[in-house]
Amino acid sequence: MRTQYGTRLAEALESCRPVPPDKPNILKTLLAVQAGLGYVPTSDLPQIAQVLGVTDAQVAGVLSYYSDLRTQPSSRHLIRVCRGESCTANHGLRVLLAIQDHVCVAVGGSTQAERFTVEQMSCAGNCAVSPTVIVDDEMYGRVVPSQVAALLERYE
Amino acid sequence: MVRLYLANDTSSRAAGAGRLADAWSERPEIQLIRTSSRGAFFLEPMVERDMLNGREAWFNVSPNDLPRIVAGVGGTPVAEIPFLQQQTRFTFANFGITEPLAIDEYQTGGGLKGLAAAQGLSPEAIVEELRLSRLRGRGGAAFPVWKKWQVAQQARAEQKYVVANADEGDAGTYCDRMIMEGDPFRLIEGMLICARAIGATRGFIYCRYEYPAAAQTMRFAIQKAREADLLDCDDDPFDLEVVVGAGSYVCGEETALLESLEGRRGVVLAKPPYPAESGLYGKPTVVSNVLTFATIPNILANGGAWHASLGTEGSCGTMALQLGGRVKQPGLVEVPFGLTLRDVLDRFGGGMIPGSRFKAVQVGGPLGSLFPESQLDMPICYDAFAKAGAILGHGGIVVYDDQTDMVELARHFMAFTADESCGKCTPCRVGSVRGREILERIQRGQGTAEDLILLADLGETMKATSLCALGGRAPYPVLTAMEHFPDEFRNKLSAFSRQQ
Ligand SMILES: Cc1cc2nc3c(=O)[nH]c(=O)nc-3n(C[C@H](O)[C@H](O)[C@H](O)COP(=O)(O)O)c2cc1C
Ligand code: SF4
Ligand code: FES
Repeated sequence: MRTQYGTRLAEALESCRPVPPDKPNILKTLLAVQAGLGYVPTSDLPQIAQVLGVTDAQVAGVLSYYSDLRTQPSSRHLIRVCRGESCTANHGLRVLLAIQDHVCVAVGGSTQAERFTVEQMSCAGNCAVSPTVIVDDEMYGRVVPSQVAALLERYE
Repeated sequence: MVRLYLANDTSSRAAGAGRLADAWSERPEIQLIRTSSRGAFFLEPMVERDMLNGREAWFNVSPNDLPRIVAGVGGTPVAEIPFLQQQTRFTFANFGITEPLAIDEYQTGGGLKGLAAAQGLSPEAIVEELRLSRLRGRGGAAFPVWKKWQVAQQARAEQKYVVANADEGDAGTYCDRMIMEGDPFRLIEGMLICARAIGATRGFIYCRYEYPAAAQTMRFAIQKAREADLLDCDDDPFDLEVVVGAGSYVCGEETALLESLEGRRGVVLAKPPYPAESGLYGKPTVVSNVLTFATIPNILANGGAWHASLGTEGSCGTMALQLGGRVKQPGLVEVPFGLTLRDVLDRFGGGMIPGSRFKAVQVGGPLGSLFPESQLDMPICYDAFAKAGAILGHGGIVVYDDQTDMVELARHFMAFTADESCGKCTPCRVGSVRGREILERIQRGQGTAEDLILLADLGETMKATSLCALGGRAPYPVLTAMEHFPDEFRNKLSAFSRQQ
């Protein structure tokens, strides 16, 4: 397990190692690490900083600034509910409440057995087919609370 | 075998297009062509086929509608769909018709004519054409495009950059996403014209994290454009790359965007210097919105005067309005500037969703003002909006119904600003948190009349002293909510305060 993890981290870092005259790009590197590992482990900050030739603090600063960079692994399935205005107008909040009720976890939390993590997201660009729920890579539009149970059943 | 057309855009899939494609994948009697979406999202998933008199469409299709469609029964001619028929489509002319990644179809639909015209012009003449066109940026600030290009053109530097702002952070907007997913070569063509005009050999498309399909389509399109030898600037190779952000609203602001592009925290910088003088890595950089770039090919192909002849005096051309919220017919509406808000909501929006009543409409995203019924005769153009202290922004229009709690909505906006503030200046960083706290106090029934005065005061301070439009415009939805729905705020004050 650890070796696979180590390889993925090394690969991500290698792909972002700055080649002069290009300057190191911290955000791009962190996104690559997240793409490889699913999150950015804070314990790996020194290694990331070293490869890029920047300070730990600079990396930590970027990591904390962007809301889509995560420092914890999410559960097997990530549910994101849009909190944008079109979804809000179309009762997206009711959908969020129905999801929270159904999986018994609040926003930001993960369910027991790590099946679901629930998060809110900014506008998904699906406003004309709102309210919007995204589970992993699949987007659902015009979601109503009564569909929630059937929708989540597909994700084991 | 019958050829059927089905959109493959994110919203069409969210509406169920993917389900149809899956259900029909093994049907030998049809060939499914995946196109872009026309933007009539209330009809999606919509299936089209060629008939004797052009395309016909079937609306809100479910998998077992297939026999009907194959038999050619019950379709509506696309040319007779009022939502589409009443629009003036230039930038979005090919939507629903072409396959997004087919360069030959892009060209058949008039694509690459603008680039060819630009290649016959000097850089100065391209900028002159844009000046004549009177095109203003579509990302929010509505700055004349030619001025920015001229500054970058006249700057002396060994490296210049073209950057497409694909951060599309305003909730309620999705036209940039549609362009990137549905007509990606139009964005590339616009950027190539800009590269030629200013002498840039590198370009970036800064795409928000929430748009994975758009980023992927753009990467494929760039690859295809490279293979077709399109990516050059005056015989030098033009290097174009998609860069993905990481969920920060303020990274849509151009200086913050460039910081983020360099990999740092996306914090706003004071201007001047403007990016056109000193932008990415300190080099002259044109940052324009995706829709702005996508508007440019037609301007070069048809001439600046053509563009200036559309719309109103100060707002030339067409605007891509994006309807959302409680309207019956949400979707993309491309029309010349000048229609009133009421026109747009009635003729295109089709009125309210049955059972709900109009309360207010917000134009221009989370920093845009709220308009009550009495202000719907406002013409949609930059000048009228500026005069009313409002913004058109990126063209997002969200309609709220009578179930909307205005105090909660105001709190939502202040909380949004507090979450998204880059922290550079105090009025925004601290003001938004205080604003949210006041509104929460009012929601708990502990607010006083002074709190309302304080909130209004705070709003004025943020407007006057914030460094960028996030802090400077954030008070507008809150203050317009208080202005038009004062009773809702007053009724939530503490009982003691209300008696006074
Ligand atoms: C808080 C904030 C957010 C912004 N977000 C965006 C955005 O998502 N997309 C965009 O094109 N412009 C956005 N802008 C405007 C940009 O700063 C800039 O004016 C624009 O990209 C220039 O392109 P244009 O001239 O084509 O409009 C934002 C501005 C501010 C202050
Ligand atoms: S107004 Fe807000 S977002 Fe803009 S620079 Fe100031 S703190 Fe940053
Ligand atoms: S507001 Fe939810 S998708 Fe745009």
